[in-house]
Formats: sequence, C-alpha cells, structure tokens
Amino acid sequence: MSYKTITYEKKDGIGYITLNRPEKLNAIDDMMLEELDAALALAEPDLEVKVVVIKGAGQAFSVGQDLSGVGTSEVILDPRESISMKNQLEAERRRNRRWEYIFHLAKPTIAQVHGYCLGAGCSLAMVCDITIASEDATFGDPMIRMGLLPGNPLWIWLVGIKKTKELLYSGAYLTAAEAEQFALINKVVPADKLEEAVFRLAKGISLLPGDGLATCKDGINSVMEARGIGEAWRFTNEMQLIMQHRNKEPGEFNFFEVRDKKGLEAAIEERDTPFKDFP
Amino acid sequence: MPTGFGREFHTQYQKCEWENAEYKGRDFQDALYDKVSDRVARITFNRPEKRNAFSDRMFEDAFAGLHQANDDPDVKVVIIRGAGICFGAGHELSSPEGEDSPPIHPNNNPTMVDYYGFERRRCTKWETITDFPKLTIAQVHGHCIGASQMFASCCDLIIATEDAQFGIRGFGNLHHGITDWPIWPLWSNKAYAGHAISETSGKEAAELGFINKAVPQEQLEEETIKWAEKLANLPSDAVTITKEWINGSLDITGVGSAQWSHFILHLGIQYVHFRPYEVNLYKAKRDKGLKGFMKERAINATPDSAPKK
Repeated sequence: MSYKTITYEKKDGIGYITLNRPEKLNAIDDMMLEELDAALALAEPDLEVKVVVIKGAGQAFSVGQDLSGVGTSEVILDPRESISMKNQLEAERRRNRRWEYIFHLAKPTIAQVHGYCLGAGCSLAMVCDITIASEDATFGDPMIRMGLLPGNPLWIWLVGIKKTKELLYSGAYLTAAEAEQFALINKVVPADKLEEAVFRLAKGISLLPGDGLATCKDGINSVMEARGIGEAWRFTNEMQLIMQHRNKEPGEFNFFEVRDKKGLEAAIEERDTPFKDFP
Repeated sequence: MPTGFGREFHTQYQKCEWENAEYKGRDFQDALYDKVSDRVARITFNRPEKRNAFSDRMFEDAFAGLHQANDDPDVKVVIIRGAGICFGAGHELSSPEGEDSPPIHPNNNPTMVDYYGFERRRCTKWETITDFPKLTIAQVHGHCIGASQMFASCCDLIIATEDAQFGIRGFGNLHHGITDWPIWPLWSNKAYAGHAISETSGKEAAELGFINKAVPQEQLEEETIKWAEKLANLPSDAVTITKEWINGSLDITGVGSAQWSHFILHLGIQYVHFRPYEVNLYKAKRDKGLKGFMKERAINATPDSAPKK
C-alpha cells in the first residue's frame, strides 16, 4: 500500500509509523486516519513486529485535527452542520472506537513525541502504551476554546482530576517537563537523544515473546476497563453529541465562522489571544 | 509474516460490524430483509433446514439487513425472527473451518495475537447489535439456543411464544462452554445464569423478566407487529438518545467490563484441558462426528445419566 500522509516501515522487530504531513505540522485529516488504520491493521497481526513506534516527520509530532475544513469530516464535525443525533452518534463512536482500538492494540505501542502534540495528536500519544518526548514537546487540547469537547477520557486516569480540569477548562498547554511530572508521559529526554531513547526501549521490548507482551498488555488494560475507561469512552460520545447540539451564547466566539471569513490562521489567532496570559 | 492460522485478522471497530455488511445489490439468502410497513423493517433468519444455525453468511445477511434498516430514514423499529420451526439453534458447529461459528481447533496452534484478532471480532459484533441506534424486537418461537439466544438478548425487546425454549448448551454438563454471554443475568435479578443454563420456556422467561412478553403461538406475529408499530410512534432522535442512555447506564453496572472479560475468557477456554470423563467437543467430533458429539453432550447434560467419575 502506498501512503500519502504517513509512512510505515518495519525494521529489527519494530514497526515505525511516521505521520508525514510536515508542511501542515502533521495535522490529522481524514486520509491520515484512514492510513493510520491501514498501517495498524498491517502491524497488529504481523508477528515480525513486536512493538509499534508512532512519530511525526518535520517540526512536530502533530498539531492535532486539521482545522482547514477540507477533507476533515471524520476528524471534526462543524457544529453548524445540521446532522441527526443518530448519524452524529455513529461518527462519535467511530472516532472514539479508533482511540480505543489503538489503546487495545494487541502489541505494545510507543509514541515518540517532539514539538507540538495537541488535540487529536495528543490523544494519539495518550492511547499509545508509552510516550517518550523531547524537551521541546508541548502537550494539550484546546478544543474547549472552539466551543467543542476535548473528548479524551484518558486525561482523568493519566493526570488526575484536578490537573485534567485545569487543562481542559482552559485549553492550556503543558511543557514536556510538566507532562512528565503529571505522568501524562513516561519520560522526557534531550531532543538529540529522543530517537535513541525510543529505539533502546523498543529494541528491549522486541526481544520478548509477542504472546507474552499481548497478554501482559491485556492484563494491564483490563484493569483500566475495570476502572471504567470503557464506559467513559461511551459517555464521551454522548457528551460530544450534547456539546455539538448546544445553543451558542450570544456573542460566543465561533471558530468556524471566523475561519470562513478571515482564514484559518486568523481564526486560530483569535481563538488563542484571549488566553495569552492564562493561566 | 502474518499471523498464524489463515483467518482474517480484524480488530478495528471504527465501523460497527453491520456497517461493514453492504446491502446494496445484495442477494439476501440466509437471512431475508423485508418491510412490514413503512416504519417497521424485518429480518428473517432463513436456514430452516439448519434450524437457522449461524453461518458467516447468515450473520452477514442479517447484518446487511440491520445496515439497510439503519440507512432507511422511515424505519423506526426492526423485528428479528426465524423461518421454519424455530428462531435459531445457535452457532453452526459444522460450519467450514475458517468461519466464525465453530470453535477454533487447538491443532491450529494459534498465537495469542491470533486469538485477539479472532475473539475481539467474534465477540464484539454482539455489542454492535445491542448498540444498534434503532429499536429492535426479537420475535421468538421454538428453540432459541446459544448464539441465537445471544442475538435475541442483544435486541431491545423479546416477545416469544409461551412454549419457546431458551437455553445455552456449550459443552453440556452444566458448562457454559464457549457460548457464555454475560448480560442475561442483568435483564432480571431473578434470572441468574444458573437458571438460564437449563432450558427455560417462553412463559417462564417472561415471569423471570428475561423477556418482555410470552403469547400463544398463533398471536406471536400480530403481537410483535403491534408493539413495533406502537414504538414506531416515538421520535427517532429521542429513541436514539434514550437507548444510548440505558445502554450507557448498563455499562456503568459493568456490562462493558463483563463483555471485555467475556472475550478474554472465551480466549482462555480455548486452552481448557478436558478430564477423561468430560465431553470433549473436539475429540467427540473427531471420533463420532457432530451428531455423536451432540448425543454425548445430551447424555452428559442430564445429571441422572452422566457417567460416574
């Protein structure tokens, strides 16, 4: 299969998936999701791949959802579109099932993060088993600033309820060091050591039997299930549904209107300016 | 190098299983699709000569029916029923190797990763019936065993004849075998799993709260359509949200985790070591054929006739 927005290669028992839209800071559009699905579907049953590394080409891991509105209906729904509850629920389910699927992939996954790691990009790093980041990495989910739900329940399990609320109410970002401190990621390393640190870990994992790794991962994930993560995904679907259909406040910032009138950059600027000195 | 034993490996569930079954241009065979009225669609399991036992094709046709009902904006309620003398006899144990229904023979020596691919697909497809965004009613007559009972359980409502027979056989001998299904105890705190293993009539099932209503055989169709037409008066989006709310609440009581452990245990049961006096599906099937296995299982499932240890 030839990919346009990612690359997939395997080497020494390690599968490498590289998000590959560097000119867009690896913004995730529908095609990238589709290709990510395809690469993971190849890697998961491949007995020569013991562990999957996901990383980004260019300056960043990923800035998150492609907000341009072109080829992004699967990534982000424009709240102005009139869509039935049923169809939207299905779209939300597909979205969250993808995260769940990667979370439960029958082999270990490592996110190798540098630069921006925001929104859906951050979700992708979070659903990987292990996240190693370079010092220049930035984590966060600014969806609330666009009046949408920052819908990844894993935040609560990973960084705890107080920190989650602080971050998701404000859309504020974490530095790599803070992300490590709050256990959003496993480890932060100097930028020039990132590749090596991930390789050493992946190599170590790749020496183990695949069946043992799959069972071990499932044992750990089943504890997350018992703690309710499965149910939380479902309620995230519902909350997204409600968020999408709520009535806007008078004068509320409408990202999509501003984008269509003034362009994407201006809309992001307008979105983030009020939060410049926050928190 | 792909995994072991030559089955399709597929764990991605961005789409529901029924969304993957295309209905446009489909030649519906093993399950039929029709419309009772503008607002009520119907799926009929149609392998009467096999007592509507599940083959891959029957699943696909039935799921294509769900898909079509989902896409038809007029349809509000879907009725599921069986052709011939019963609703369904469960998984077909004589399906060709490589289909989802028969248990995986241990001689395939699959890896754990194989099992994840297989079991997640096999088990998770039930959830997509439970979560179907329109209302579903199982119209049950005659036997409704194993996987067929699971299908009915996943529907929102079950209306059955008084003499319908619900039950799970598995390996027999009070063993859930490979057809364990975690949700029936939840439909009623009276219908504990221990009861459901043995056969339960439609009348008993209604008393236990495991099904919604039991009626005499000749009223079944009329009663089911009556319920369907009544429910079809509800606004679609309100139904979708209410159903999601109920199913989500069930998740909080632990159904989601139960389903999770269900497929892990399903996986674990592939490694069962049979004691000499137990009915071993694989061995009995090899030595005596499928009918021989069923006979042995029936004898073993009757406590008085079980061989002594």
